[in-house]
Formats: sequence, C-alpha cells, structure tokens
Amino acid sequence: MRSMRRPGHSPASEAKAVAAAAAAAPSGPGFPIPVPNPYIVDPPAFPEHAQTGVTGMPAHSCMGLNSCRGTDRFGLVGPPGRGPNACAGQGYCATSNNHTCHVQNDCRNQGGCGLYGTAEEMNRPGYNDCRSQGSCATPINAERFSTNGQNQGKSVWARARELFETEVWPALRDELQGKRESGAIPADQPLPETLGKPPAPFTESGPSYLWISSVNADRGAFQACGSSGMSGAGGCS
Amino acid sequence: MNDQPSIAVGAPEPITPLTDAEKRVIAWLNENSSREAVLADLQDTLQTAIEIELATIPIYLFTYYSINREAASGENLEAPQLFANKAGAVIMSVAVEEMLHMSLSSNVLFALGGTPRHYRRAPGQYPTPLPYHNPVGPKGPDGQTAVLIPLSKLSFEQLWHFLQIEYPEAKDVTPEDRDWDTIGQFYSFIRCLLCTKFLSDADFQRGPAERGIQPGNYSPNNIDTVFPKEKFDPWKTAPPVPLPGWLAKDGHPRAAEIAQFTDCADSHTGPSALLTIATVRKAIKAIDTVCDQGEGAPICGPKVDPDDDLSSLEMSHYQKFLTLQAQFAAYKDTKEDLPPYSDRVAPVEPTVTQSELEAAGLIYNFPDNPTTGIYPIHLWPISAFTSACFQYMLIMTETIYRVPPHQQKLFFNEGLHRSMIWVLDKYIKTIRKIPVGGGKVMAPTFENVDLGPPVTAFAGLTYYGNQAIAAANAILAADPNGPLASVMSDVIYYIGVAISATSADGHPMHLPDVAEYWSEEEA
Repeated sequence: MRSMRRPGHSPASEAKAVAAAAAAAPSGPGFPIPVPNPYIVDPPAFPEHAQTGVTGMPAHSCMGLNSCRGTDRFGLVGPPGRGPNACAGQGYCATSNNHTCHVQNDCRNQGGCGLYGTAEEMNRPGYNDCRSQGSCATPINAERFSTNGQNQGKSVWARARELFETEVWPALRDELQGKRESGAIPADQPLPETLGKPPAPFTESGPSYLWISSVNADRGAFQACGSSGMSGAGGCS
Repeated sequence: MNDQPSIAVGAPEPITPLTDAEKRVIAWLNENSSREAVLADLQDTLQTAIEIELATIPIYLFTYYSINREAASGENLEAPQLFANKAGAVIMSVAVEEMLHMSLSSNVLFALGGTPRHYRRAPGQYPTPLPYHNPVGPKGPDGQTAVLIPLSKLSFEQLWHFLQIEYPEAKDVTPEDRDWDTIGQFYSFIRCLLCTKFLSDADFQRGPAERGIQPGNYSPNNIDTVFPKEKFDPWKTAPPVPLPGWLAKDGHPRAAEIAQFTDCADSHTGPSALLTIATVRKAIKAIDTVCDQGEGAPICGPKVDPDDDLSSLEMSHYQKFLTLQAQFAAYKDTKEDLPPYSDRVAPVEPTVTQSELEAAGLIYNFPDNPTTGIYPIHLWPISAFTSACFQYMLIMTETIYRVPPHQQKLFFNEGLHRSMIWVLDKYIKTIRKIPVGGGKVMAPTFENVDLGPPVTAFAGLTYYGNQAIAAANAILAADPNGPLASVMSDVIYYIGVAISATSADGHPMHLPDVAEYWSEEEA
C-alpha cells in the first residue's frame, strides 16, 4: 500500500493495520471496499512521492492544478506506459510536500483547504500567499467539503479548480512568461500555453480517497485533520 | 461622548438597547464617579472579563478531549456515536467563541491603552469559581448550590456545570461587577461603564487598532465544530460534483449533505465577529457579541430587541448545552434548577446514558481535576508539557499586540493556529492513550506552569519539551515494542512540531520564539 506520513506509524504497522481492517470488515467507515477496485487499472496508481518535473515550475496542491506540461506528480517521466501530462491543468495530483493540516504548507499555492482556516482562506484552496498561509491537507480528496465561508458545504477541489482556471493559472502563465523574457528561466523552457482538463475519471470531482489511498484501512491511509470523521479521510492521531 | 449608544439603535448594525437597570447605573455613575475612576474601573473589569473567558477554555477543552468522536464514522454511525460526535462539535463551537470573547475583551482593553494579560491567569486549581462569581447559585442535579466548576469528562453532571457558567440573565437585573449571578450581569456592568458621559472615542485610540487582533484571524466553524446528523456514505463526493459512476446512487447521503454547522457566520454584532476597537460604539458592539452568543442572553421570556444574528440560527451557549443535556436519560427527572424565564428544552430522542457511552468506548476515563502530581512520576514530564504548551499559547496571545501589523497574520498562523491544531490538539489526543492507574488515562491538567518571562519563554517551552522527550524515550527504551511504543513516538513527534520542526529546505516549522518582541525587563 502507499501511505502518507503519519507520526508513530511505520510502514509495517500500517500494513498490519490494513490487514486487520480487511479482516475486520465491515467495521470501519467506507466498507465494503468496492470490488473490483474501480481505480486499480486506470487511472495509474497514485505515486507516493512526486517525481522530478520541468525545472522552474511551481509545486501545486492537487490534481488539475499543475502549471505546465510534465509538471504533475508523475513529472517528466509520466505514468507507467504513458508520456508526461501534456499541458497545464491536466496533471495527476499534488507535487507539493504532502501535509495533513492548516499552516503546514511549504510555499504559496500549496495549501489544500476546507477543514481549518478563516472564511477567506477556505475560499482560496490552492491559492495561498506563502508558507504557513495555506489552509489544510493536500492532496484535496474529492469527498472534502468546505466547513466555513462562501463555499461551506461544497466541494473544496471544485473550488480550487475554479480558482485555478480563472486566477491562479493566468497569473502564473504571465509570471513565467515574464521570467523567460527577463532571462530568469531558460529561453527554451516550455511554458504554459493551453489549459487542459483534469484526467478521467476525476475530471469533474478531483481525486477520490480510494485512488489516493488505494485502500480503505479505516480511513487511515491518507489523512486530513479533524475529529468529526467528516473529512473523507482519516484524522491525524 | 461621541455616538451615544442609547440612541444609536438601528440598521444595519444595531446594538442592544440599554435596560432600565443599566440606565439607572449609568445615571448613578455619571453623578458619582469621575472620568479617571471610570477609565480605571473599565480597565480592571476588562482584565477580569479576560480571566473569566480564559477560565472557561480549559474547562470546555478538558471535557471536549474526553470524547472519542471517531470510534465509528460514515455508514457505521449509531445513536451513541452520533451523540458523542455532536457533543464534541457543540463543546468545541462554544470553546471557539470563548476564545473570540477573550480576544474581544483584550482588544477593548488594548484600545484603552491597557495591556491584556493571559499568561498564568487561568485558574490555579480545580474545581474553580469564575472570577467574582457568586459562589452560591441555583440548585444542581445533586441538590448542591455551590458554583465550583471542575475539570471533568463528559457527563450529565458536567453539562450542569457548563449551564452554571452560561446561566441566562433575567431581564432588567442589576448590573454587577462583583458577586454576579450571570456573566450577562457582569458584561452589563461593562456596558454601563462604556456608556457613561466621561468617555470619548479618543479614549479607545490609545492602543492602535491595527495592532489589535485582526478580524481575519477568526473562524466561526472548522472541521471540529461540524457533526453528522445521521449516517453518511464516505465514498460520495462533495457536492455539486457528480458521484463516481461505480457508486450506487441510492443509499446514505453525502457527508456534506448531513453536516451540521454549530456556529453561524452572522452570529455577531458589527461587520465581523472579531472587532478591532477605535470608538466607544465599537467597544459596545464587541461586548454585545459576547452577550448575544452566550453569556446571559435570555433565550425565552423577556427578550431584548433583536440586534444581530440576522439568520437567528445559532443557539446561545446555554441553549446548546441544555439541548445536549436533554439527550441524557437523566434529564427527564432532573432536579436541577432551570430559570423560569428560559425555554425548558424538551427531552431529546434518542436518549443516551453515561454507562452506554462509556461501554461503547466513547468517553475517555479522565480523572477529575487532575494535576501532574497525581500521575506516576515517570509520566510527569509528559503531562507537564501540555500545560507548558497551553501557557506558551497565552504568551503568544499577549505577543500578538507587539507584532508589526503586516506580520500578524503569519504570526497568528504559525503561532496560535499551529499550536492549537498541530500541537495541543494532537498531543492531548495522544496522551489520552496513556494509562495512569485505577482504570484512568492521562488527561490535560492546564496548570499555570512557569515558563519564565516572555523573553525566555521559548527556552522554557523547549526545556519542558526536552524533559518530556527524555521521559518518552525512557519508556521506549524500556519496552521498544510495548503497547505504548507508538504513543511515545507520537509524543516525541508533536513536541518536535512545537520546538524544533523544520521544512526540507531548512525553514523553521515550529512555534515562533517570541523573544524578539519582549525586553528582558518585562515579566
């Protein structure tokens, strides 16, 4: 299985937890796990770590929010048997440092959103100013809804994609083109030209918990903060 | 005085009209007091208000953390877990508003040129009275009238103590700053001081508003103030996006469709819940928000005119807690003395019992009123770090007023949000897995531990952290594969988040050291 960082839980203990959860099913939330797993063949399995992408492109917080060709989680290599993503907005999932909570993001536009934060922050998923100003876990699972602000009760990922199309990507494109003109990045570096659709089957929803985690495991394999059991993923402790 | 509140009632941001009792007190103050005395009294009373709000926060958080909200979720939710989850969300929603109220009183005091004090101002021991609270109150379920609030796990009786804190104010009672019966009475006295003839807007501009705690730092709801109304399907995507094709369209609803939000964004007076203060009127609005959200606002009978909360969807704190208590089977025959002028909430179905909640593993068996000293000695450092973190949060709250305005948001996120969400919350949820004897588990003690003066407080926090790490490592070394191994690893990890975490590129990701904002002379 592929697990996210979880303090105090080694890969071995995670594997035991998965086995125990499977043996105990249907005890936890989200059982039974769909059989066959609808995401086991296509799309390609979620990569635990982001691969090297095009130099100079910013990290991002989720599927469909990448700025250019070859800048998604599969990087320049692309998913097994396929080429890299072709253009902006078409990539598979986050390249930012995976994190599980508010204020834990490394840089701008790397926050998830929806769980903690102010109304303003929650209305700008994937569109934060800088380190520690992001709101909540990445990647943004498709089940997550905003708990505050104008987007309350609605999909966080859908709001992030809307912002990406209308604000984040246009600004990023202009910024990168300006950098190329000033020589700050190589003249031959590919730059965003077109905005594509996120990959199927998550085009409209963003990545589901099942794909990100590949297992259910009592919602512990991929975590997002909170104690209400309503984040669509596991809690943090 | 500018902008007289008694005549300034009206849309779009009205404030509560003065009661006859308040008018009498104001008239007396105008006749018998002085500008200097009112200003001094106002500063003292606002500091007391801060300490009243601060006293409630450990009490509510202690009970909150006694609840296991996640023993079951999604389609596996049954009535006891639904109640436990709701109780957690409701208690957290009130705790969040108490933090707001403490911030509002702090902002008013700061605007007056005062220095809000929080560090080591929480109750010194439990059970505790609230500052200047009448020690004799209405009769509780046990027939007792003492107003002493314990740190205790969730129970029918503990919810009574919450009701003692939030007991609603009767109409037109005398404002009191001493021996008050309801917090509403206490804040009513502050309103009287604010409405005397002696004050002007200039009095509220001694501490610059841009250095107050800014509105953008407050959030009425988060994932912890939300609870599910019923079972839900955890595989279903959030609306409005379509459901995955492989998923049956029937069955349980989406999580977002049955999510209950316990606080409302408009449950305040003025343009935002958290106000900075530069006028008398803004100060009165801040106090209005405190009263309307919880303390003292009558929920039935003699009503004041509606003055805020346009959607009227948010219950007062008293009503929230009474509604929770009404779901306990014991409520039907309780002898507790509820106010005759307040709604008598009907029993809520399905009822739950204490034994049922405990048998289902939904309540952690916390000791009552614990101190670190009651735990086994090898666990003392692990317990003490909880209090150290709590005290450092209070120091950071005092520090906010010293942070340059353009850096406040970042400081707030990296200091207060990180410490609450990423250190204290996770740390307490970790240590409650540690048995401490007698069938009990470790609970937070929220003691007024000494971190030294603010200028060296981060070093103090680090000292407590390193002591706790050493204790955890000793337990790990003694039994590397024992039942507490993962708990101790988590203890070490979360302390690291507080005192030493760094990003991959070497940037500090721990709590900020406040030393640069304080001088060595300041205690």
